[in-house]
Amino acid sequence: MARELHISSLVVHARPEAADAIRPAMARLPGIEIHGEANGKFVLTLETESEQTIVDHLNTISLLDGVLAATLVFHHVEELTEAE
Amino acid sequence: MTLTRRNYLKAQAAATAAAAANITLPVQAAPPGVGGDPGIKWSKAPCRFCGTGCGVMVGVKDNRVVATHGDMQHETNRGLNCVKGYFLSKIMYGADRLTTPLMRMKDGRFDKNGEFQPVTWDQAFDEMARQWKKTLKEKGPTAVGMFGSGQWTIWEGYAASKLMRAGFRSNNLDPNARHCMASAAVTFIRAFGSDEPMGCYDDMEHTDIFVLWGSNMAEMHPVLWTRVTDRRLTNPNSKIFVLSTYEHRSSDLADVSLVFKPGTDLAILNYIANYIVSNGLAKKEFVDKFVNIRRANTDIGYGLRPENTLEQRAQHANDAQVSNPSNWDEYVEFLKKYTLDYTAELTGVPKERLEALAKAYADPKLKVVSFWTMGFNQHVRGVWANHLVYNIHFLTGKISEPGNSPFSLTGQPSACGTAREVGTFAHRLPADMQVTNAEHRKAAERIWKLPDGLLPDKIGFHAVQQDRMLKDGKLNAYWIQVNNNLQTAPNTAQETYPGYRNPSNFVVVSDAYPTITAMAADVILPAAMWVEKEGAYGNAERRTHFWHQLVEAPGQARSDLWQLMEFSKRFTTDEVWPAEILDKNPEYKGKTLFDVLYANKQVNKYPVTDLEAGYRSAESEAFGFYAQKGLFEEYAEFGRGHGHDLAHFDEYHRTRGLQWPVVDNKETKWRYREGLDPYVKAGTGFHFYGNPDGKANLVFAPYEPPAESPDQEFDLWLVTGRVLEHWHSGSMTMRVPELYRAFPGAVLFMHPDDAAARNLRRGSEVRVVSRRGEIRSRVETRGRNRMPRGVVFVPFFDASQPINKVTLDATDPISKQTDFKKCAVKVVPSQMASAGEGKQ
Repeated sequence: MARELHISSLVVHARPEAADAIRPAMARLPGIEIHGEANGKFVLTLETESEQTIVDHLNTISLLDGVLAATLVFHHVEELTEAE
Repeated sequence: MTLTRRNYLKAQAAATAAAAANITLPVQAAPPGVGGDPGIKWSKAPCRFCGTGCGVMVGVKDNRVVATHGDMQHETNRGLNCVKGYFLSKIMYGADRLTTPLMRMKDGRFDKNGEFQPVTWDQAFDEMARQWKKTLKEKGPTAVGMFGSGQWTIWEGYAASKLMRAGFRSNNLDPNARHCMASAAVTFIRAFGSDEPMGCYDDMEHTDIFVLWGSNMAEMHPVLWTRVTDRRLTNPNSKIFVLSTYEHRSSDLADVSLVFKPGTDLAILNYIANYIVSNGLAKKEFVDKFVNIRRANTDIGYGLRPENTLEQRAQHANDAQVSNPSNWDEYVEFLKKYTLDYTAELTGVPKERLEALAKAYADPKLKVVSFWTMGFNQHVRGVWANHLVYNIHFLTGKISEPGNSPFSLTGQPSACGTAREVGTFAHRLPADMQVTNAEHRKAAERIWKLPDGLLPDKIGFHAVQQDRMLKDGKLNAYWIQVNNNLQTAPNTAQETYPGYRNPSNFVVVSDAYPTITAMAADVILPAAMWVEKEGAYGNAERRTHFWHQLVEAPGQARSDLWQLMEFSKRFTTDEVWPAEILDKNPEYKGKTLFDVLYANKQVNKYPVTDLEAGYRSAESEAFGFYAQKGLFEEYAEFGRGHGHDLAHFDEYHRTRGLQWPVVDNKETKWRYREGLDPYVKAGTGFHFYGNPDGKANLVFAPYEPPAESPDQEFDLWLVTGRVLEHWHSGSMTMRVPELYRAFPGAVLFMHPDDAAARNLRRGSEVRVVSRRGEIRSRVETRGRNRMPRGVVFVPFFDASQPINKVTLDATDPISKQTDFKKCAVKVVPSQMASAGEGKQ
């Protein structure tokens, strides 16, 4: 089966006082990048090879202490060529 | 993929999310919006799932949905999407999709005990028509029935209502929405004379206090929850109170969590009213001017079968709906019982939390939104609970203005648009009209161009009653569309399944997938779903929104609309209408039901060429006229000029939906308030014009206990409900691999000490047993739901753990909605069955 690349973005709402603990916990997830942050709101992108990983990350983030909501916004998928 | 392209896409993803979240990124690298692949055609559609009614953009390539994303232009979700909506594109492509009609056959003909075999549409409809005609001839209109859905499109519900009421002259039509928000709908009519909320989702950005009464928005309405979260984090006055019988994901954001004993929310509601009144904080001038005070009949039973002892013993089981005029002094006197001490003792909620909630409602400087869903509605006193929360908003005058809003959320995408507005309940006609009202029937006969006296005046069988009548052999020809009742109805093993397999009954199920309900039927009709047909839904904030057919349905699958209209061709008026009506109106003689109901020069008025360029409509092509447009325009006649005004059909394809009443092409966001609602005259302030006297009804009622409570043997409360990843019975979402893996099998949520007391651990296999039936499940003591001692929770999406074998078929006696939240069970290790064979 051809390998795929999924690029998606998320908005995460967290308690502002918990932001400092949540930031590194999210950053540890593979393929994640934090693009912006304000008052406990984060904008993230994910680069993953399957949709399942998106769901897994979403659940992991939702269950972090202080996270109130994690919502998907954008999704794009492309097949990767052999060289990649 | 090149690095540049990868970075471009990532920048675009981030920019889109930032726009949706209203955050400015340090470097705005790419404009929001989805561009790219020129082979994909993007169109708008509402999401297929819950009552929130999010807008999604649907990408189609080669007659297949390949991508979806949140619609930035849709006001409800502003680009956000929940995990169910995110995988929408996959629900249509499950491997076991039904693509041909199936009928139980033996020796080449229908046999109730035969095996399912593929048949043609003609074979299926011929047998159905034979069965319907036989039933109508032998037993009359009360023996045919239909069970529909809040997932029907508006015109499907409308076509069904015409076929059942005007065609077969039966009001035995009810939607699965009966299980979901009948208590809310019935109370809207009782209190305001008009169904559906006065406010809208914008209340969330205007309010200070959110009170959740039996609603787990974080999981059930996740996109709305992000709006609540946003408000809570940016408004320093904002506070969230969560009332529930256990703690769940919404409790994570709560400033105050109130976990109460099942059923005692009624006492909390009356305590708050008592606090307001006894501290002199009531806005008496509002009550005097705009509200009638009434006292409900009490001791009203539990909607069980009439021979049940609980019904025999109840004083007002037969006139539960009656309320009598009362006054302020009587109301104040009635409330006195609900002191802080009494309420804290009865409910188990700490006093300081009760008081904090009462103060928040009473404080004139704070705006309050009350949200509720199934915890309130699936309640043997659901109508009372709805009344009691309105009473608080009346006492404080906090209603019908931005941020002050009692707001009933709904579960299904068109519970409002179809079940309620079209009126597919056993007692309703379109636009809040009732089948028992002679004037209303007359109006319907006039709009439908049908003979006087044709429409039946008796209320039909409601959902639970349909199951009972099937079992008792009094309802014999039965059609189910867009729902999985055998999994979702209460007490299914004893009250639902026996009716489907009763030899004197013929049961038809239209569905996209072989649900357990379909497998228990005699005929299965393959249904087109979502964007395989042109559709319209109405969401919880009175927003009507449309979509076009974007792909073709697979194989022989056809929409419910086509099925209903095509089936009507097999009946003539002479076969199904009384001779005296036809003798008086000979011009209707010899016509088919299709002729008189749909080819009536109104529904067939618009040519297929009226369709927007670039889109098709399978039904319209089949019938030779633009069926959706004709049905909608005829339907809209019911409400125009009566506070239910809908815009013109074409307008809805242009916009992201409009909130009715739409007057002079302008939607109405808040009803009943001067300056916000075009129906309210200047100088009046408020006008609750749904009622003839222009006043709302404050109806007071006491706490009464649930139908069944835990005892020595069945020592735990059972609560059922949903989880984020799955939509209701899971017939769609369980087919999306990613969602299935996220929450594969139902579990029993239980307090760790309750587990330990039964020698159970997390993961232990158990039997969940009630007086009615049992299932097997596994114990979960951690995770998203945190149970108090004495209460367990099981979600109902999993067909392999049909928890509704265990639930009780008690209903609210007024709304006839089932209480899925309160019955008594015991939980024992599954090895108990083989106990006695030595140590385990």
